[in-house]
Amino acid sequence: MTHCLNRRPCIPARPSPSLRTLGRAALIALALHAATAAAATLPIKKLEWSYVAPDAQAQADPSAPGTNFELPLRWPTEEGTPLRTVAMRLRFGLPAVPDRTWAVLLSHASEGGRLSINGKYIGTIPEESAWRHVAWRRPQMLSIDPSLLLEGDNELLIESRFGPGAHTLARVEVGPQGEIWNLYALQFFFEHTATWVGATVALITALIFGALWLERREAISRLLALAALFWLTGCAAALVEIMPQGLRPWVQLASIAATAGFMATLAITLMRLSSLARRREEWLICGYAALGPALCLASSLRAEPYLQLAWQPGLLLIVGVATGVGLYRRTQAGVASPHPLVLVAAVILLCAGLLDYASVIGLNSLDGVPAMNFAGPLMLLALAAPLIDGFIKTMHQAELARVELETRVREREQLLKRNFERLRESERVKVEAQERQRIMQDMHDGLGSQLMSSLMLVERGAVSNDQFAQILRESIDDMRLAIDALAAEDADLAAALGNLRFRMEPRLRAAGMELTWDARRLPEELGLHPDVVLPILRIVQEALTNALKHSRARAVRVTLGTEGSGESQSFDIRIADNGRGIAGERVGGRGLLNMRNRAQKIGAQLKLETAPNVGTTVHLRTRIGPANPSTRGQQTVLNTQAVIERARQQ
Amino acid sequence: MSADQISIIIVEDEPEFRRRFAQIIDSEPTMRLAGVAANKREAQALIDREDFDVMLIDLGLPDGTGIDLIRNVSQRKPDVDIMVVTVFGDEQHVVSSIEAGATGYILKDSTPADVISCIRLLRAGGSPVSPVVARSVLRAIRSRMGGPGATSTSAPARSANAENNPLSARETEILQLLAKGMSFNEIGEILGISPHTVTAHIKKIYRKLAVHSRGEAVYEASQMGLLKT
Repeated sequence: MTHCLNRRPCIPARPSPSLRTLGRAALIALALHAATAAAATLPIKKLEWSYVAPDAQAQADPSAPGTNFELPLRWPTEEGTPLRTVAMRLRFGLPAVPDRTWAVLLSHASEGGRLSINGKYIGTIPEESAWRHVAWRRPQMLSIDPSLLLEGDNELLIESRFGPGAHTLARVEVGPQGEIWNLYALQFFFEHTATWVGATVALITALIFGALWLERREAISRLLALAALFWLTGCAAALVEIMPQGLRPWVQLASIAATAGFMATLAITLMRLSSLARRREEWLICGYAALGPALCLASSLRAEPYLQLAWQPGLLLIVGVATGVGLYRRTQAGVASPHPLVLVAAVILLCAGLLDYASVIGLNSLDGVPAMNFAGPLMLLALAAPLIDGFIKTMHQAELARVELETRVREREQLLKRNFERLRESERVKVEAQERQRIMQDMHDGLGSQLMSSLMLVERGAVSNDQFAQILRESIDDMRLAIDALAAEDADLAAALGNLRFRMEPRLRAAGMELTWDARRLPEELGLHPDVVLPILRIVQEALTNALKHSRARAVRVTLGTEGSGESQSFDIRIADNGRGIAGERVGGRGLLNMRNRAQKIGAQLKLETAPNVGTTVHLRTRIGPANPSTRGQQTVLNTQAVIERARQQ
Repeated sequence: MSADQISIIIVEDEPEFRRRFAQIIDSEPTMRLAGVAANKREAQALIDREDFDVMLIDLGLPDGTGIDLIRNVSQRKPDVDIMVVTVFGDEQHVVSSIEAGATGYILKDSTPADVISCIRLLRAGGSPVSPVVARSVLRAIRSRMGGPGATSTSAPARSANAENNPLSARETEILQLLAKGMSFNEIGEILGISPHTVTAHIKKIYRKLAVHSRGEAVYEASQMGLLKT
């Protein structure tokens, strides 16, 4: 752990925590204090190293003293070195034989072996063999029966074998089993469980952002997923502690490649987050990252120890530069820059990397937990957090936008409904106004003017009783006409014309004229606009009155019927008499002029055929079919103008 | 006072018109005025007291509508012809009075000759009808056909609707021609029957309409529990 078990001596009873980095200390300090509070354990600092048979360098006399080393110990072995067998003797003194079970704890002991106390076997940790490679990353603990311990000097013997690769033994400690177990549990958590935690974080990150990338093709998601995958690979390589010998180079290669990949991806991500997407630099980073694994592969791992010293710091440098760019961007306004959390995590990662490198080159204690174990997952989380935060915010915004849209749609709907109702209301008002105007004009044109002119005649005293009765009768006739036109629901012109016929027939008969009414070709329903009903009635009445007054005819024939079909369908009325005809100077008479004006107003054709002593035929043709709104509109305007005109004249 | 004389009562609240109608009838030798009434109460007394052939009645009486009187007379004295005195543009009331049992109507401003010929026509078994009234009658029958059966559209209900139309095809045709303004003579020519037959058809139509509406009223009354069965 962070105990100063480096090359400098220190007080075993109270090892002070070294203040290496804040990030790391903060994480471990608590556990450390808990562990050191009851520090009744006994660290062993020295070991005597001797090769034993069947090793080639084994001395003839096994009891001869070996080489003395101080812990922590690191001994790299070149590739191709055969399996070596070694005996490590560690001595410690006891003031008294303990009465409880003791235990021995091996920290950062990459090799297994057979362990004995005072020549008595206490247990075996799986060790290297011809077919099996071990690379323990977890601590090892074996219990010691107190009966094996002696007062005074005791000897712990570790018989071990090792092959090629880097080997370490950082620390050996003996003590009461309870205290040793506390230390063991703590180390186990930080060196083994933490790797699992990191792997889990990386796996989840990879899954989430991999899925995001598949769905959204977002570059940052892809980079993050890639970094997480690299980290996951590294964790997997670290978690495989026992493997067949044939697999060892590949696992090591995977470990190196994973580190390189993670760092390179991280650097590119940081650059991209600083909106610095430069293809050339990115390829350079990738190239440099690929260099390490490539050299490893090319040299059959022989280059690995040198790479750790020379190449790996370069990766740190790259990440450092990328972090520096991000920090610089942060100070600039208006430029995209990484989230502060990302930058903090990057700085922590850099520190962790430097610390780990310091351990590798021996500047620092060996027995500390690899700081990258924590900094890596932290980095992944720091990268993921802003993305997930942004994602959640986007979802919130989408939700808000949806709600707002719904509200707006509802408001618009209500507005439309209101507008529609207003429109319908105004339409109704307009129709009513048109109706009122029609009635008003009918009264004005017909009964009103008739009564007015009658009044003048009566006031002049120029009217006899009979004439007076005649005038009133005509007025009533006109009113009837108007009422018939109004009562004619669905513009039932036929019935209204029929009523007119019934009113006129007795008068014609009294004058010796026979009226024939031929309505056989008249359909049940006539699709005429209400506006045209009264003018037509008036024209027919006028024609019949003219015949009655002036024609001296014997017979009058009215023919009603429709001509043509569809758009060109028309309603035809012929009023024919066999009288004396209309004299030339009378064709422009007032009655005829009235008829023509009325026909013109409703867009109907009025033809007059007259011949002396042959008779007169009035032919009125009105178009049926879909009412043309534009002409109707014009007509209304015309009518209005006519009313105004007439009002001025009077 | 000859037995052939047509005896007539007048129910009219406006004295001017009452006098006018009375004069027209008095000046016609074949007709006799049996009495006049100015309101419903007097009219009821007159109806109970006198025997008469024709009743001229105004619908708008000061103490109520004349429709009740029409229904009363048409049920108690089926031989009496009831003639409604009306102003123009009042076709809806004409149709209701026909449904109550009236067989003719006359406009208030008709000439004396019109009044006389109308009464003659009625007694001869015909009924006068104007195109607008004919159209209104047609419409009333159509709406009644659509009326009770309108709630269900199943086949039996539709045949019941056909039964609801009390008019024969010929009668409907005559009404349609009348609505187009054709005279009895012209209709007779078109259909190959005498004008007299045409007017008889019209009277039958009126009677059917009255009977039918009465039956309907009875049915409705029994539905409402007003009549004991």
